[in-house]
Amino acid sequence: MRKAFAAVLLLAAPLALARADVPVRTEQLIYSVIAFNGRDYTPTFAPESSSAVYLLAGADSFISLRKTLVYFWPLTGRLQTDTQTLNEQLDGTLEVRDRRGKVLRSISLQRYTFFNVRGEYEQNWKVAVDADAEKEYQRYLSLYRSFMKSIDDYTRANTEYLAKLKEMSDRIESLKASGKDVRALQEKMSSVPRPRQPDEPADYVVPPAPLQQAFVVNLPPGRYRVRLINPDGSVMEGSDKRIICTTPRRSGSVGYQVLPSDKWTRPEESKTPSAVIYVNGSADLYVSVFYQDELNDLAYQKTLDNAARGNPNVFSWVRIQQVPHASLQMSGADGMASVLQERPFTVQQSQGSSLGYTIIPYDPLGGQKSPDLMAFRVPVSTGTRLIRLSARDNGGKPLPESGRQIRIVSPEVPSLVFALLAIIPLAAMIVVLAMRRRYSRQGTTSRAE
Amino acid sequence: MRISIRSGLVIGWRQLFESLLSPGFYVMLSVGLALGSLLVAGFTGSIDSSGFEPQASPLYDLISRSLSGAFGATFVEKLFAEGPFLFALVAAFLPVSVYLAIASVFRFAQEKNAGAVELLVYGPADGTSYILAAFLKDLILSAGSLALIAAAFAVEAALTNLLLGPLFLWALAALFLLSASFFAYGLLCSIVVVSSSSAIALFLGISLVFSLVFAGSFTIVSAPVRTLSSTAAALLSWISPFFYAGMIFRGVQAGSQGAVLAGLLLLAFLSALLVLAGRLIIDAKGVRA
Repeated sequence: MRKAFAAVLLLAAPLALARADVPVRTEQLIYSVIAFNGRDYTPTFAPESSSAVYLLAGADSFISLRKTLVYFWPLTGRLQTDTQTLNEQLDGTLEVRDRRGKVLRSISLQRYTFFNVRGEYEQNWKVAVDADAEKEYQRYLSLYRSFMKSIDDYTRANTEYLAKLKEMSDRIESLKASGKDVRALQEKMSSVPRPRQPDEPADYVVPPAPLQQAFVVNLPPGRYRVRLINPDGSVMEGSDKRIICTTPRRSGSVGYQVLPSDKWTRPEESKTPSAVIYVNGSADLYVSVFYQDELNDLAYQKTLDNAARGNPNVFSWVRIQQVPHASLQMSGADGMASVLQERPFTVQQSQGSSLGYTIIPYDPLGGQKSPDLMAFRVPVSTGTRLIRLSARDNGGKPLPESGRQIRIVSPEVPSLVFALLAIIPLAAMIVVLAMRRRYSRQGTTSRAE
Repeated sequence: MRISIRSGLVIGWRQLFESLLSPGFYVMLSVGLALGSLLVAGFTGSIDSSGFEPQASPLYDLISRSLSGAFGATFVEKLFAEGPFLFALVAAFLPVSVYLAIASVFRFAQEKNAGAVELLVYGPADGTSYILAAFLKDLILSAGSLALIAAAFAVEAALTNLLLGPLFLWALAALFLLSASFFAYGLLCSIVVVSSSSAIALFLGISLVFSLVFAGSFTIVSAPVRTLSSTAAALLSWISPFFYAGMIFRGVQAGSQGAVLAGLLLLAFLSALLVLAGRLIIDAKGVRA
């Protein structure tokens, strides 16, 4: 045994020389950015090697300059920040200049918060600064504290309720054992009020972020140069960067999210206005309609993540928010039109060994507090060939670029027909060459005669 | 000039007949159609209950991964938004147009070398007639090929319940004019160099440079790069037929009829300019090799 242990130790000895591959951390002045992307806020950072910060024009975004440690993380192939070791926010003023160097704005640090208030749909972002931010955050804290207090009260009341039930249950059991009538006690037990679980505060979808200081940047479309002016009036070395503010090329177009009833977790989006939705017709579709903006692919990707790659010559449609109270006009190949209304639905996982989901109409009296999706149910079958959709707004007005076709693709691809089509030119060649030979023979014969 | 055009038409007609009597054109057209049909069949096999799912077909999995890696997911999404026919059209027409261009380059340079063109110009025809003839022959054959490919795809679309799509119709016009520009470049190459092999090499080199510059403009990048090579590429793009084809593509995407029309007109203008340049060179140099 000792020999074996010694052998294991001997074999493991070289491992003592092995060390974890710790990435090299370098101190850098970074632009820490929380950028509005048209739909929500995403954090990113621009290291010293990045020359530009990308923002959406006309929307509040937050920039702060920080000294932190930056390292390359090989597993993701990206630069990361080590803010736990060093995270020093720099004080001063952000000077925004145009291309010719003319100072357009000097932005001071402000305390800010951003939050999304609950509405019927998702796009309700608000920004508050300074005193308003403090007020909003305190309001949220007060709501939160009050909710936590009501949770405590509920927990206490629920414990008392359960204890009372247990006590009565024990009494009933003992009375039953002695052969006495327990009906009155049972009735009393069933009439004991059960404490109600408090609802979460419904005011916010995304609560206000804890107050921070940053430069609140809201610029018109264009390219700007920015730098940090220190409190003593000097320019912070290495703080020169460009801000590229982009604006949608087109706004207010309509896209569709398509959820097949058998693949609830894998929605497809139809964003290009001329796009066709091809399906095999094996499942009904649940369709929701959203507004979308068209943004430059590179600029948008870099707004989300400063290290991202994108295509500078392609514009991509970005989903903004669901169209409120839309209706959907649906017509088949025969031209018969019907109007669909948006309905709430609940998604239930299939029970037993079968995998998948079932989408059923939402029952407000059921156990679930809110529906899983608001959508239009479009019945599809393999017998259907074509469904035309067009969305209308709350007033019944057709929405721009909302026309789409759903085409049910024939599953049996006639491969033989495809092959025949491909050999048509070869068949023509055989005919032409045969005719040529025939004519040249005829010519030779007539000359010989 | 009128005599040149008339002679060009007569010679072009004869050359067209000769091309139709050789098997090369038919074989390339069949190859193109087979390729296109394969792509359409692959697309229908990639459709499931939620829509187009490239992973469902090994062919489309490979195509979408390769294109996404180079040009980004947005490019691929737009390419297949209306169905498979835009990509299939390019894939089907490419072998035919390359064959037509190379055959013309080879033939013109060879006939010039052999003194056949010199012989011809002793009659009513001149060098311009010969350029025009080759150009018109290629135009007619490419228009016929596009028509046949479009007809085959229309049948496939009807059988599978797919849609050709509005971008496909624009692409037909754009590809026709794009190939016309390349035919004109081919003729110019065969005029400026002596041997047929040099002409083909020059033509392929020019086409490759234009293709790389075009592909580069749609490649995904991490930052807008401003280097000497990109500046050179930007300058070069003005004489590249792909630049105007890209303008048409972007115009269709942006819903700008003006940009589409401008792209089509500029492509036609570029072809005319190249043919004119060929004529001027041949007038100055003569048709002797």
